[in-house]
Amino acid sequence: MNQNELLENEQIEKILSPHPLSFMGLQSLCIFLITWGVIIGWLVNFSEFKDYFLNPWLIISLWGIILMVVGVIASLLTIRWRIFFFYFGVFIGGLLTTLLLENSESIGVFIPFYSVSISIIGFLIVELYRRSHKYIISNQRIIFKGGVITKQERTLRYDKITDINSKQGILGQIFSFGTIIPISQSGFGLGIDKSSAAAGVQVGEKKVKFLGLFGGGKELQTPRTRSYYELHGVFPYKEIKKIVENQVQGSVITNYQQEQVAFQKEQVDIQKQMRDLLKKQNKQNDNSEIDEKI
Amino acid sequence: MDGSPLDIIIFAPLALIFGVILFWFIQLLFIESQKYFLSLISHNHDALIRFSNFIGVLFQTICHALGYTVTKSGISSFFISVNYGKVSPKKVRKGVLEWTSNAFLFIGPFFIPGLLILICLLFLINSDYFLIYYSGYTFSDNFISFGINLYNFSSGFLSFLSTIDLLHPVHLGFLLLLIIMGMGIRPSFIGEKNQEKVDMIYDLKNIRYNILHKPVYIFLLILISYVFFYISILIDNNLYMAFFSILGWLSIISIVSLIITHLILLLIKFTDNIEGIKKLLPYISIPVSYVLCRLVFFYYPIPYLNSISLLLTIFTASLLVILLSKKKTNKFKTKIDMDSLLKLGKGQRDEPKRIIRK
Repeated sequence: MNQNELLENEQIEKILSPHPLSFMGLQSLCIFLITWGVIIGWLVNFSEFKDYFLNPWLIISLWGIILMVVGVIASLLTIRWRIFFFYFGVFIGGLLTTLLLENSESIGVFIPFYSVSISIIGFLIVELYRRSHKYIISNQRIIFKGGVITKQERTLRYDKITDINSKQGILGQIFSFGTIIPISQSGFGLGIDKSSAAAGVQVGEKKVKFLGLFGGGKELQTPRTRSYYELHGVFPYKEIKKIVENQVQGSVITNYQQEQVAFQKEQVDIQKQMRDLLKKQNKQNDNSEIDEKI
Repeated sequence: MDGSPLDIIIFAPLALIFGVILFWFIQLLFIESQKYFLSLISHNHDALIRFSNFIGVLFQTICHALGYTVTKSGISSFFISVNYGKVSPKKVRKGVLEWTSNAFLFIGPFFIPGLLILICLLFLINSDYFLIYYSGYTFSDNFISFGINLYNFSSGFLSFLSTIDLLHPVHLGFLLLLIIMGMGIRPSFIGEKNQEKVDMIYDLKNIRYNILHKPVYIFLLILISYVFFYISILIDNNLYMAFFSILGWLSIISIVSLIITHLILLLIKFTDNIEGIKKLLPYISIPVSYVLCRLVFFYYPIPYLNSISLLLTIFTASLLVILLSKKKTNKFKTKIDMDSLLKLGKGQRDEPKRIIRK
């Protein structure tokens, strides 16, 4: 961080980046792609079942179907359709390249290489994305910086933090990293989980005579934000959490402190009154002395 | 049916119980040795220790939950972290049910990982190795049959391991599973905090307490074993032998997986002595040398190519570790040699060879 960007009396406590394994959700998409590509390569070229895969379209169909099925299941479980679209894109790319290939018999070699290549590109993109994150913890605020092409920045003063949410997955517990979401007074850092269910009833055999639809929905406010706006996968988690919590505690006035301030104000008022009285008394004394002299 | 009735009625059932206890004790010794190795590398490999702890705690918690499910106590809460796992029952049961759920907690982690590997092995090795042999119902017959069953299974399992094809995705997956299970057959608790020491003595104390606390239940358990044995004789189908042979197989699987983990821990321990990025070389050499061997043997096929590739890989990694460990450099070695250092003029300073991180 540039020294010019620092405020008056501001000191940097820590400059952090997410842990390399903190984007395992994205990395696992690539790991699956590599694994499945290698399995297909082995199945088609070396396994005892290789005679079943003489038709190249069977190979690409099997590869594509499994990718799609895993994509749909993962998307449903995580409620993120981008997983499905990623695998769909990979499949379409593979299919188009196969169509352009003149020798379709080499598909058994092409598919594993294509999968591994896409995965390596995927890993590099994830790494680039991870490295674009930068979190600066100073004694006055937290600065979140990020963005590969479009640069984003969030500044959060400690006195504006109302709540701190922190989480550590199994990988995080093993490698000592975790995510800390500071929630601001404006509610920045909160997301909504939505779930809904619907059921339809159709009565009648040939045509729809009666159609009933029943539905229900549920909303749940939960700490969630983009990785650019939270301390995502920071290492060492416990130490960082302690620093942030100490800073927040240091800038928030507690009830006891409020009572102390009120008490001190009262004391100052009394002292002022006493000073005024003494001044008044002195003035009166001075006046009486002058009168006596006269 | 040869043998005296006294032998068959009183002593014969004990043969298999003693046999299983013996193997279980050997397993316990290996676990203890693994914990020692883990403690040797714990200062440099926190993450590995935590991972090992997690696998152990996971199995223990699952076994505890299984115990509550079997005893119909229900599960009200299930908590698991890297260092700690806790399962609370819905209904607090007393008596036999409490004792059974405790038995699941203490003994389950020794057998559940082995059982998972055994299920995988059913699909990987010839089913002939799983055949249960029995010749009679006397003490010696039982002991010999038990030994034969263990020998058959061990020869199948070990011959599979010695010819394992690491370019076969299923075989590679199995080996990884074996290593992961071996890491967590029992939690080590060599973590960030010095928690209560959980060692072999602790386990034995727990089991002893479980036995002495309710000796009636142990008596009941032995009685059930005897009844099971008598039923096996009556139907002339030695199910008793089958049950205890499977328990013996589980111990053998666990011992083998613990031996493999020992080798890995040894590799980690020795590579720690190598400085800098060179310590990665033995790890890199393992896949590289294996793939190279397989490529060479693909064009020049020889018998036992899988085993020879494996041996060459292990040999290459070991050789690299020995060579690199011997070439250990001194951290405080100067950049300029000693003769030139003596000739340095006033005000001239030597630069350290390695800049120690501030």
